[in-house]
Amino acid sequence: MKNILYLARKEFSSYFHTWQGVFLTLFFFLVSGLFFSLLILGYAKMSMGQMGEQLAQAGVNQTDYIFGSFFMNLSTLLIFIAPVLTMRGFAEERRDQTLELLFTYPLSDREIVLGKFLGQVWMFELLCVPLLGYGLVAQLAGADFDWRVVLLAFVGFWILGLAYLSLGFFISTLTKSPVLSAVATFGVFLIFWVLEWASKVSDGWIAQFFQEVSPLDHYRYFTMGQIHFQHAGYFVLTIFFFLTMSVMSISTRNWKSS
Amino acid sequence: MAQILQVEDVSKKFASRLAVNQLTLSISSGEIVGFLGPNGAGKTTAMRMICGFFPPSSGRILIDGVDIQQEPTTAKKMIGYLPETVSLYGDMRVVEYLNFVAAVKGVGFLSRAKAVKEKIEQCGLGDVSKRLIGRLSKGFKQRVGLAQALLGDPKLLVLDEPTSGLDPKQISDIRALIHGLKKDRAVLFSTHILPEVSMLCSRVVMLDQGRVLASGTVEELEAHLSEDFQIQVTILGRSKTTEAVHVLQGIEGLKDIHFVVAESEQVVLTCRAPAQLEFRNVITERLSKQGISVIEIKREQLTLEEIFLRLLK
Ligand SMILES: Nc1ncnc2c1ncn2[C@@H]1O[C@H](COP(=O)(O)OP(=O)(O)OP(=O)(O)O)[C@@H](O)[C@H]1O
Ligand SMILES: [Mg+2]
Repeated sequence: MKNILYLARKEFSSYFHTWQGVFLTLFFFLVSGLFFSLLILGYAKMSMGQMGEQLAQAGVNQTDYIFGSFFMNLSTLLIFIAPVLTMRGFAEERRDQTLELLFTYPLSDREIVLGKFLGQVWMFELLCVPLLGYGLVAQLAGADFDWRVVLLAFVGFWILGLAYLSLGFFISTLTKSPVLSAVATFGVFLIFWVLEWASKVSDGWIAQFFQEVSPLDHYRYFTMGQIHFQHAGYFVLTIFFFLTMSVMSISTRNWKSS
Repeated sequence: MAQILQVEDVSKKFASRLAVNQLTLSISSGEIVGFLGPNGAGKTTAMRMICGFFPPSSGRILIDGVDIQQEPTTAKKMIGYLPETVSLYGDMRVVEYLNFVAAVKGVGFLSRAKAVKEKIEQCGLGDVSKRLIGRLSKGFKQRVGLAQALLGDPKLLVLDEPTSGLDPKQISDIRALIHGLKKDRAVLFSTHILPEVSMLCSRVVMLDQGRVLASGTVEELEAHLSEDFQIQVTILGRSKTTEAVHVLQGIEGLKDIHFVVAESEQVVLTCRAPAQLEFRNVITERLSKQGISVIEIKREQLTLEEIFLRLLK
């Protein structure tokens, strides 16, 4: 257990050995802040005009309008952020041949995977901290949010992030090149994105199938403030699956020269 | 003496190639064993298995009686490993890195700072301890590698070519360090520099194509190797040459008797003798009986290089 924390700390601080960590934090902060401000402004403009009544009639309140879109936008942003967070994971260690020593330390493969993953999760959580701030600022400025919904959406975003990270993490165990790892992870996320879209245009069992597979469909329920066992279970299983695959992947050590 | 390392019948197969073939080897505390062999002999592969980097295809490895496959974490705590290419996290500072290693090797929080400081001093890293590892010269990276191997005070040190690519000063520093380490520890190190082995090792294991070609002390290897070796007898008095040759011919076992006349009155006779027997006394005795004065009897000493090359033939 302690070993997992040592590894996590090392992984986390390695983001700040280069400008990567700072750059990521700033980028995420600025873009998400931009989304949020635009949504607030958009809502304010609409609610003042005639649209406001229409929205109210359709049963769309402030929370749904602002946070619903906000969290869907964030999930798109995650497609770009997550590959960058996970690309170094194992790929860099394989490229730099640092695994040879790591594997001879008294650590189990499971500890190595969990420790590194936890470090990446910490970095992701650091990125999320400002998001809570946006809500508070808006609240102070007089907005009237349903906080239960907002918090659930937030939890949904967190668990979606973890699922994306676990996938990227697994992909980074498969290659020696961090760039390739990022590109491949990004590619898989794009497929998810297409799946969600496909589930909308198809129907019948095909649509059902796409909905079950696509993480974004499961995520949507969280953004609406609903928590269902099946959707939470989907993410937990996904994370568990990819972490297990990562352990299996690193336990075959027969790659040349590392 | 306590056996720190026991390698029993270990093989490693990569695809179709057998990199290590039924290696058996044991090292006890206080011993330094040199691991020799041509490129591709399987030294690095064997060391990686010993340190638990990957498992053997068959066979068993015990570290102080603990099977490294059954209880990897317990066994690995007793090992310090310096890989052939020392690749460390280039973006970490020396102290920061050594602290991390000490932590994962299970050095307690309270004794960690002291342990790290001690290794930094031992490996002469004091001046660079705050620098990024990636910016250090190769020799200093090697020292950091050695320092991380020493952390946790392992009972078994496995060093893969610890002196390759270093300048002569650093080579001699590292050799001195290794020599100083052997107290209550077992050391296995591989090298291509043969004099180093004669200097440091109590024992040699020679590997070729994954198999143990020979093992033992340098003298044992030599004896084992040469069924016969060269003896050189220098006598005084040219006129006695024929007589001396006769005497030598009279000793059973001596072959290939030749002579050369050296400077002044000295004659050098050479012959080959079987390794098992000590001929010096017999030769001196018989020659003196004939009134021939013997100036010198030399047994040609094979260097480790020669042994190595002959074994490989
Ligand atoms: N991961 C691997 N996959 C496939 N073959 C490998 C692998 N590692 C080593 N080999 C092969 O195993 C054999 C032994 O290699 P090894 O590196 O152990 O030799 P070595 O004795 O250390 O040589 P050197 O003196 O050059 O360091 C070589 O033929 C090598 O090609
Ligand atoms: Mg080697």
